[in-house]
Amino acid sequence: MNGGPVARPDNMTKENGAAGPQGNKRGNNLAVPGDDLGDSEGFEPGHGVLVMSGRLKALKKGRIMEKGRLISVEPVHTRYTPRPGDLVIGFIEGCTNNLWFVELGAPFNAILPMSLGPGKVDFGGTRSLMDVGDAILCRVQEVEETHSSVVTMKGMGLRKIRSGVIEEIDPHLLGRIIGKGGETLRRMKAETECRIVVADNGRMWIDGELDGILDVRNRLSEISRVSRGGRN
Amino acid sequence: MGGYGDVQMIDENGVRADGRGPGDIRPITIETGVVPVADGSCRMTWGTNEAIVAVYGPMEAHPRKIQRQDRAVLDVAYNMAPFSTTDRMRPGFNRRSREVSKVTQDALESVVLLELYPRSKIRISIEIVSAEAGTRCVGLTAASVALADAGIPMTDLVVSVASGKINDVVVCDLNKEEDNYGEADLPMGILPNSGELVFLQMDGDLSQDEFKQAWKYNMDAAQEIHKLMVEALKEGDSQ
Amino acid sequence: MTIPIVPKLLRSHLSDLAERDARIDGRGRWEGRELEVQHSILPRAEGSARVRMGDTIVLAGVKFQIMTPYPDRPNQGGLMCSAEVRPVAGRNWESGPPSPESIELGRVVDRGIRESGCIDVDSLCIIPGEKAWQVILDLFAISDDGNLFDAFALAGITALRNATVPAERFEVGEDYQLSVSKTPMMCSYHRVGGRFVFDATAREELGGDERIHITLGDDNNVHSLQKGLKGIFSAEEFTEIMDNAIERAEELRKIVDEL
Repeated sequence: MNGGPVARPDNMTKENGAAGPQGNKRGNNLAVPGDDLGDSEGFEPGHGVLVMSGRLKALKKGRIMEKGRLISVEPVHTRYTPRPGDLVIGFIEGCTNNLWFVELGAPFNAILPMSLGPGKVDFGGTRSLMDVGDAILCRVQEVEETHSSVVTMKGMGLRKIRSGVIEEIDPHLLGRIIGKGGETLRRMKAETECRIVVADNGRMWIDGELDGILDVRNRLSEISRVSRGGRN
Repeated sequence: MGGYGDVQMIDENGVRADGRGPGDIRPITIETGVVPVADGSCRMTWGTNEAIVAVYGPMEAHPRKIQRQDRAVLDVAYNMAPFSTTDRMRPGFNRRSREVSKVTQDALESVVLLELYPRSKIRISIEIVSAEAGTRCVGLTAASVALADAGIPMTDLVVSVASGKINDVVVCDLNKEEDNYGEADLPMGILPNSGELVFLQMDGDLSQDEFKQAWKYNMDAAQEIHKLMVEALKEGDSQ
Repeated sequence: MTIPIVPKLLRSHLSDLAERDARIDGRGRWEGRELEVQHSILPRAEGSARVRMGDTIVLAGVKFQIMTPYPDRPNQGGLMCSAEVRPVAGRNWESGPPSPESIELGRVVDRGIRESGCIDVDSLCIIPGEKAWQVILDLFAISDDGNLFDAFALAGITALRNATVPAERFEVGEDYQLSVSKTPMMCSYHRVGGRFVFDATAREELGGDERIHITLGDDNNVHSLQKGLKGIFSAEEFTEIMDNAIERAEELRKIVDEL
């Protein structure tokens, strides 16, 4: 039976791991699920990596990252999963007398209780504050083991979004949009004279003059076009 | 299985009607990102089979009764498009499609890390738009590529391939003619990195030796197909 | 089909754009998306086509069956057209029996093709009163990024124009090309930001209102109309899009003719 990669004359190149099963396929490479990433001895499995019978195994398609002892696979695309502290942009999808349901682009809607909402109203007055279809900038307060989450609007800058547009981008492109030390994003803000808030769930709030907004949108679609290898 | 012994589909030199040797598979192409609105997708052609698979999710599991508190469920729908077969396939409920959906779900649930997404479902739509023979293998293989394309964590890809018997000779990857008149069919779902199995079916008549040969053909073909899957996945994102 | 929530910001942004006569993806009001039409791409279908408009992708396949003509029309065959939008095409499409949305899609496309008379049903007769061809056109969505209607109609007529009647397989003579005498074309308009635009994307559909579908024949005769979704439109608005549909249909017909 076939177990793991086997060194054969046709794969004895450096990038294939010429050492065969004893080597590893790390380096700035792409991994696919099931790829053997080498011996687990001395390493810790990070995101997207699992140890199975003493070997590091890739679980996702993505870029292999090596930080000290930590080996992880950064997925190329994936759906958003909330983590506590994330800044997110959500849409109100429904409400009851004392809470709102917020859609974050995650598997489950988050809950925004009245006590963490933007203001105080009488019991039953949730819709007068924020109604279905409204967009909000909020923070993930807690995430249960089952991935249901609670969001809060208590905090600096958290608010109901009243103007501008919300654009969706692949979460994995966030780094490219923000740039090293936030440089790319800063430049984009300056050149388009727009207020831009990049949220962790792959949504961006862009506010400003219509021309500026259109300019930002063109730049974003160019970034995603390039990341798709020029394919449309 | 028909078992029409009088139809000659392989000659004494082991050359099949379409020119392949006993262990050869039909030509395969794999492409990802073919359903732009999906979270992950794959188009696979295999001979004149063509499958298009789209993956959506994880998302909240609906209806409630399919929800599992401790893990995700895979909502697999295998379907043959009306124009995929020689005689038009009537849309709607179909027992065969249901069974294929179920065994495909069972196979994929064995590799996806379901515990990471309690109460969720991951929707996998397998659409056969052109059918020759071995559509369940194409569907399962393409589905595992689409799952990987969607960034779903899984311990391995799944390669599915079938071997069978024609004119008393064991051969790999039956085409339409061979499937119609063949004497056995052994489809398997193989984890290419470990050689373990997550899917197995068989019908027909095979001796113990023939069975071993068919098994070996499938294992060898799986390695060959796996290379194409990895290539397609990496190529789709060479940046 | 599950209906997603409509973000209020999207609606107001679409109105802002409309005031400037602009669209969310930068197109002009009457400009269609990049179009790709292929035919004879499905090996098991007697005629087939694939249409891609931006991120909307559909397939069409033609199959033939032998039917007994209806007693009141013993010299005629039949044409049937059905559309299926299965969960593969988008996260809002669900499995189960055909949704009202996909039934509407199939019926509107069917009417346009049938009423144009592009298929001579008399020519489908094999033995009067006994045997006739039934032409079945199946429309199948792969990816729904808006305006499935036009994509289906275009794929449908392209598949029919490239269909071969499989007479040999049914042992009733020699294979021959299905005769399609006309090229009906559908043009769809959505109200987005208060005014009608041609070929809306999913995002424009989400933030928009009612839609109007117009099918025109070779001579610009009107063969089918359909108003869908909630909304009120004026006679002037309709005249404007009808005039535009004449131009758009002409362009599309040219593309199909040149295949």
